[in-house]
Amino acid sequence: MIEIKDLVKRFGTVQALDGLGFQAKDGDVTGLIGPNGAGKTTAFRIVYGLMVADSGSAWVDGVDVAQDRMAAQRNLGVLPDVRGLYPRLTAREHIRYFGELHGSSGAELEADIDELIERLGMQDFADRRAKGFSRGQELKVALGRALVHRPHNLILDEPTNGLDVMSSRAVRDLIVEMKNEGHCILISSHIMSEVSVLCDRLVIAAAGRLIAQGTPDELRDQADAQDLEEVFVRLLMKAGALQGAAA
Amino acid sequence: MTGCLRRLWIVFAKEIRDHARDRRSLTLALIYPLLGPLLVASGLYMAGQTLNTNYRERPLEVPAVGLENAPALAAHLLAHNIQIIPAPGTEEERNGEVREGRLPVVLVVPAEAKGLDNFTVDVITNLGRADNLRATARLAEVIAIYNENIARARALAAGLPGDYASSIKMHKINVARDANIAVFFYNMMPPLIIFMIFLGGVHLAIDSTVGERERGALEPLLLAPVERWVLLLAKSGAALAFTAVTTLVNVSAFRGFMGLAAGSAEQLTQPPSWWVFVAIIVISLPLMTIAVALQMSIAVITKSMKEAQIYLGLLPLVPALPGMVLVFQPVNPTDLTVAVPVFGQMLLIGQLVAEQTLDPRQVAIASLSTLAAASLIFLLAARWFRREKMFVLG
Repeated sequence: MIEIKDLVKRFGTVQALDGLGFQAKDGDVTGLIGPNGAGKTTAFRIVYGLMVADSGSAWVDGVDVAQDRMAAQRNLGVLPDVRGLYPRLTAREHIRYFGELHGSSGAELEADIDELIERLGMQDFADRRAKGFSRGQELKVALGRALVHRPHNLILDEPTNGLDVMSSRAVRDLIVEMKNEGHCILISSHIMSEVSVLCDRLVIAAAGRLIAQGTPDELRDQADAQDLEEVFVRLLMKAGALQGAAA
Repeated sequence: MTGCLRRLWIVFAKEIRDHARDRRSLTLALIYPLLGPLLVASGLYMAGQTLNTNYRERPLEVPAVGLENAPALAAHLLAHNIQIIPAPGTEEERNGEVREGRLPVVLVVPAEAKGLDNFTVDVITNLGRADNLRATARLAEVIAIYNENIARARALAAGLPGDYASSIKMHKINVARDANIAVFFYNMMPPLIIFMIFLGGVHLAIDSTVGERERGALEPLLLAPVERWVLLLAKSGAALAFTAVTTLVNVSAFRGFMGLAAGSAEQLTQPPSWWVFVAIIVISLPLMTIAVALQMSIAVITKSMKEAQIYLGLLPLVPALPGMVLVFQPVNPTDLTVAVPVFGQMLLIGQLVAEQTLDPRQVAIASLSTLAAASLIFLLAARWFRREKMFVLG
């Protein structure tokens, strides 16, 4: 389970997070959605230990990230928005590197890598160097890297950003599969149709604050609208956050 | 292996594997270090070839005017391998040609010399040019021999001893000059070796820090449970390994090429033995650590690869400049001078090249002070490496 409590983070004069808090439960796909500048990426970065909050806290399976970053990271698999591959390493070497950094080694690690390569459909390019990979191939490598240590919790930042239809569908299938295995999955996406299909719970944030949260149906009731995009817009307007969001 | 060491090794091994596949890193480590030795050894080889050739046996062409007025002198010059060629007709032209370096020297015999034993000749020269200097010296030497011959003939004709008119004869025995030419070239090695030490790991240092940040690869790496100082230490270790390879290639090339160049001329002294060069590598180890620490600290505080490349491109010049000064103005190593980080190693390497015995106490002082400075710089770099700005794009 991932839990964030009253996160506050300021960069100079910019208030990136202003008391944001929510929970992402095991066996659920929780979607963190919001306009640009809502603080989604900053919140994620605090959860996976890249940034330290000015106040508030982030917890992964009961571990306070600020207190024990490495313990929290062991239970966390992350797909950041920027995939950031090493152009001179092969797909397999990427996955092996991160598996080793998480403490795996030997035959067990190699078996896990083979399984991931098959599961993510990477057989064709597993032993090719990453330079020149398509966005779909990059995403699969980044996913393999995030999953190699079998994390219980997953954070996926814009998981289908820039992917073609087939690759997007494959990623969505994987998310559902992992949810059914009981993983806690926290995603951020701008694609409302995807959010609508995938997410059990939604957290809407704007200007670093929580605007609304609940199941898609609960939010539809709150906004008195059926289309999730319309729900999103109405809730932001209701909270007076749309002006800032548009800017 | 403890967890910490294991993670250190994993990151180190990845960086080595990654950069062993990188053409730029390999060129910097394996090709660049050959260029300095090739250049210096070529200079030494050419100096050796000059020494090999007996300059006096080679014909020297001297443009001359009015030599028909002094046929005995003309015959004497010819007998001493000086060939006379026509010179420009006017004084202005002659001066101009010599000034511009198109003629090495011009001999002018006045019309009044005809039929006389005593006369004055003009030798137009430009002593600002080395080739003119050499031609002028040789011409002056041959004319001096002519004078001596005349004086001897006159003395004998007068019933006097042949050397009556020349009280002191000078016989030049040049033993030191040729050896010093080689030593001068050997003294150029320390600053160039130090230059390469500060260049060897540069690409890896930039690419694995600010380069990874620029490509967005540093953020995913930070998601793995690895201590940040371990990460920087492992990357520094990889840069150190590349620096060590660069230094090994560079120092070996210096010994190999210099040995070949010195072997081309008997008069040149041979470079110091291979063992001296092994000692240079050992003495350079603390220098490599401070070079990498400086590279890493600059790489982690710069905002982009371009910015880092500018600063790190200049970095090798900083320690190499005092080294160049030492070529012309040697400083004797003392406990105090060797305690200056980097400078201490320069002095010790200079001593090794001069085949002097090192004082173990000074080696210890130099090594400890440079290692201490390197540790301090690394700690600062590790501190900067923890900044949030370091990892986050945008």
